[in-house]
Amino acid sequence: MNAPLPNSSRMRGNGAGNALELRGVGKVFGALAALSDINMTVKPGERRAVLGSNGAGKTTLFNCITGDFYATTGTIRFFGEDISVFPAYERIRRGLRRTYQISLLFTALSVLDNVYLACNGVSRGRFSFRRPRRNDAVMDSAETLVRMVHLDDVRDTLVSDLSYGQQRQLEIAMALSGAPRFILFDEPAAGLSPTERRELVEILTNLPGHVGYIIIEHDMEVALRVAESVTMMHNGRIFKEGKPAEIEDDPEVQALYLGGEGHG
Amino acid sequence: MGSFAQRHPIWAAIIAAAVAIALWLIFAIWPEWLTDLIGAKKIFLNALFNGITLGALYFFVASGFTLIFGLMRNVNLAHGSLYLFGGYVGYEFATWTGYWLLAFPAAFIIVAVLGIAMQTLVFQRMEGEELRQTLVTIGISIVIADLLLWIWGGDFYNIQLPSWLIGPMDTFFITGVSRRTGEFIFLKYPMVRLVILAASIVVGIGMWLLLNRTRIGMIIRAGVDDREMLASTGVRIQLVFIGVFAFGAGLAGVAGVVGGSFQSLAPGEDIRFLLASLVVVIVGGMGSITGAALGALIIGVAEQFGSVYFPTYAVVLTFVIMVAVLAFRPQGLMGRA
Amino acid sequence: MATIDTHGNGLSSPSWFERIPAYYYFIGIVLISMPVFAGDFVLFQIFGWSFILGVISLSLMFLAGYGGMVSLAQMTIAGLAGYMVAIFGNSAIETISQGWPWYIAISLALLISVLFGTIVGWLAVRTEGIYTIMITLAIASAFFYFTRQNYVIFNGFSGFNGVLPPRLFGIDWRHPIAFYYLTLFWALAAYFTVVYISRAPFGLALQGVRDNARRMAALGYNVTAHRVAAYSFASLLAGIGGILLTWQSAQISPGTAGIGPAIDILVIAVIGGLRHPIGPFIGAFIYVLLKTFATDVLISFGLAGERFQLLIGLGFLVIVFWSPDGILGLWQRFQDSRNRDPLTGRGGREL
Repeated sequence: MNAPLPNSSRMRGNGAGNALELRGVGKVFGALAALSDINMTVKPGERRAVLGSNGAGKTTLFNCITGDFYATTGTIRFFGEDISVFPAYERIRRGLRRTYQISLLFTALSVLDNVYLACNGVSRGRFSFRRPRRNDAVMDSAETLVRMVHLDDVRDTLVSDLSYGQQRQLEIAMALSGAPRFILFDEPAAGLSPTERRELVEILTNLPGHVGYIIIEHDMEVALRVAESVTMMHNGRIFKEGKPAEIEDDPEVQALYLGGEGHG
Repeated sequence: MGSFAQRHPIWAAIIAAAVAIALWLIFAIWPEWLTDLIGAKKIFLNALFNGITLGALYFFVASGFTLIFGLMRNVNLAHGSLYLFGGYVGYEFATWTGYWLLAFPAAFIIVAVLGIAMQTLVFQRMEGEELRQTLVTIGISIVIADLLLWIWGGDFYNIQLPSWLIGPMDTFFITGVSRRTGEFIFLKYPMVRLVILAASIVVGIGMWLLLNRTRIGMIIRAGVDDREMLASTGVRIQLVFIGVFAFGAGLAGVAGVVGGSFQSLAPGEDIRFLLASLVVVIVGGMGSITGAALGALIIGVAEQFGSVYFPTYAVVLTFVIMVAVLAFRPQGLMGRA
Repeated sequence: MATIDTHGNGLSSPSWFERIPAYYYFIGIVLISMPVFAGDFVLFQIFGWSFILGVISLSLMFLAGYGGMVSLAQMTIAGLAGYMVAIFGNSAIETISQGWPWYIAISLALLISVLFGTIVGWLAVRTEGIYTIMITLAIASAFFYFTRQNYVIFNGFSGFNGVLPPRLFGIDWRHPIAFYYLTLFWALAAYFTVVYISRAPFGLALQGVRDNARRMAALGYNVTAHRVAAYSFASLLAGIGGILLTWQSAQISPGTAGIGPAIDILVIAVIGGLRHPIGPFIGAFIYVLLKTFATDVLISFGLAGERFQLLIGLGFLVIVFWSPDGILGLWQRFQDSRNRDPLTGRGGREL
């Protein structure tokens, strides 16, 4: 599968070294420590799953990485560059992408419009006053993406008229816009039917090799199938890290999450 | 305050220095060069106290406005109309009964009833639609303004003060030294303004106690913080809304009586006090009573100093303060980021 | 809402002028030939004023409808442009007016109003949306009080009179027919520009920011920059309207951009409907008709002619209560009800 057209997203860092490096990251809301002392290293192209019960801090971790809010302590490096104090849009323009647990889509716009916006956000011409002409590169990549997630037949439908599964597919398409270097998937399988889950696993495993990702998931089947390493979180801290098979067999993990006999 | 000084040492030093200078200006006898530079101390003190009492009036109006916004996210642009309406009602009551003090409860109750009507008949139906609510308040203010103009006309109304409030009072602030006898000259200041200042401090403290030391206050503060959460605790949130709106409206009405007593009532005063509330709340921070107090004090004093020392640009000073706050601390001085 | 035009799927796509609906042509012909049927008063006072107020309200609609930002400062920006044209150009107040050539005066006026609007935008957008109304209202009143008190630049209470359009091509542009075409031209230009931009990347991004600013930030957009840029564009529209407004009455004073007029612009935009650029013009037309004939209507009902504000206020309340999307919303619901399957109730457009 071809990668989407590379647009002018600025590629900083030398690409060697780590894709994502978190050191001592913490997030405090008033008296609540949602994240404490997070140290994490993810290599370029690595596929990792972050697991944990509700309230473990997984989505908060994502929000700190993407800049939806700023971490209270610690540093975050993306491909060698310290992005800890960058606003969200600066991080995204460096190749970071993310999907949301509850789809954040533009409900009054069509599928194609949504993807177009996503592609446009990371290219020049964001402020362009001119309508896209026939051979517009951004428009082309938007159309390619729509086809890639099998939404071509509904591309002019308003998002509010889509089914839930289709909306989740659209989220994925938007995360693939431009030339992503690293993607954060927040529970992409939530609410999907078994067929849709299989499609999702197919899309994830077929991503280009240089694109790494972290996936938050409750569905162990999906998570352990698409990830090559697992980080377990509990109460805002990292509890264990390892390969999927190790984690599945770990007695402590089983006691906490898997009920001792695999998940139901 | 200690933690503030720890986190922002430079700002704390600047504020401390400013307070020290202000205290010296107020209490010390001015040397000649100072009087030559900016005029007599008496003018300064008058401007300062006029500003503080004007700020007290602004606080009355702005605190209701900020409470209503803080809890119900309703930018009540009809607040100025409630002020003027309360003032006219107070005037009628005072002239009808002959007792100035009766004007206050009358204005409070009648305007609060109007507030209850507005909340139950109109705003409750538009829960969550903030823009629509604001538009409705604009419409209501246009209608009320014209009705008030129809009934009371374009004249200036003044609520007659009772005799025991008229006249100056001796204060302990020294304005100078008498050349003849060498004794201190003390400032004489209108009694009514001092009474208003005292009243607003009492009301302000009362509101603070209500919000911070009572159960109903805790419910209101919780609602300001997170409205949905409060509703899910089973509290009859609609009653709380009605209560707060009625109280805020009543407060505006009472402010109208105050304003009518030491200033005057006329068409246009509603807009003036609405704008004052807006600026006070922008500067002080939305949803915060202490913010309203601080903002009202700053704006009142700035307005008075502006009109005394730079009369052509008095307006500019107030709005420069507002713009500065917007530029550097958009959430207001006491607002939460 | 039509989506972005893309290359058709193998079918030959119609050229742009074939895609314009028939009723556009009909309205266009009526508008262009209006001077044939209408008298001077209707051309100048009713249509001229409607087009001008429509353009200024369009600037508000652009910010509110596409950007989710309700700015009460649009009339202020328009007023500032009018003042600048009086100050840099010619007026009866010779001590202040510079008497510079029209192309310099107009360009400067627009430049200054865009600059001012951009600053207003920057001040207003960095806080939560609902504060925008308050902040812009405060700025609008600051401008009103300042122009009323300042005599050095703004000539205080009386303002400027004798502000006339330049005599281009030998035409007196304040002559009713010429003025009609002048305002019609700018109304059409503003309208089509806004329609076009709404589907350009800038307009789409603005709507995205309106719908979900957080998501836009996570897509790589600098949300604050987009919002401020929207204010800049809207200020250009308001400035053009302001200059035309000044020429229409040949004068500008603090009351022109006072708090009443500032709120009236919002009323106009809401009555017409904030969803589509035609809304402000519909609203302006209704407002102008009311303002011109309300006195007679009121008197025939036995009320004093001065109760115009009451009428406007009540009408506004009625609209906000029953059709918050204004006249356009009523039209939309009417169309939906016609397209609805009478049995199942499905059909029409859900939005």
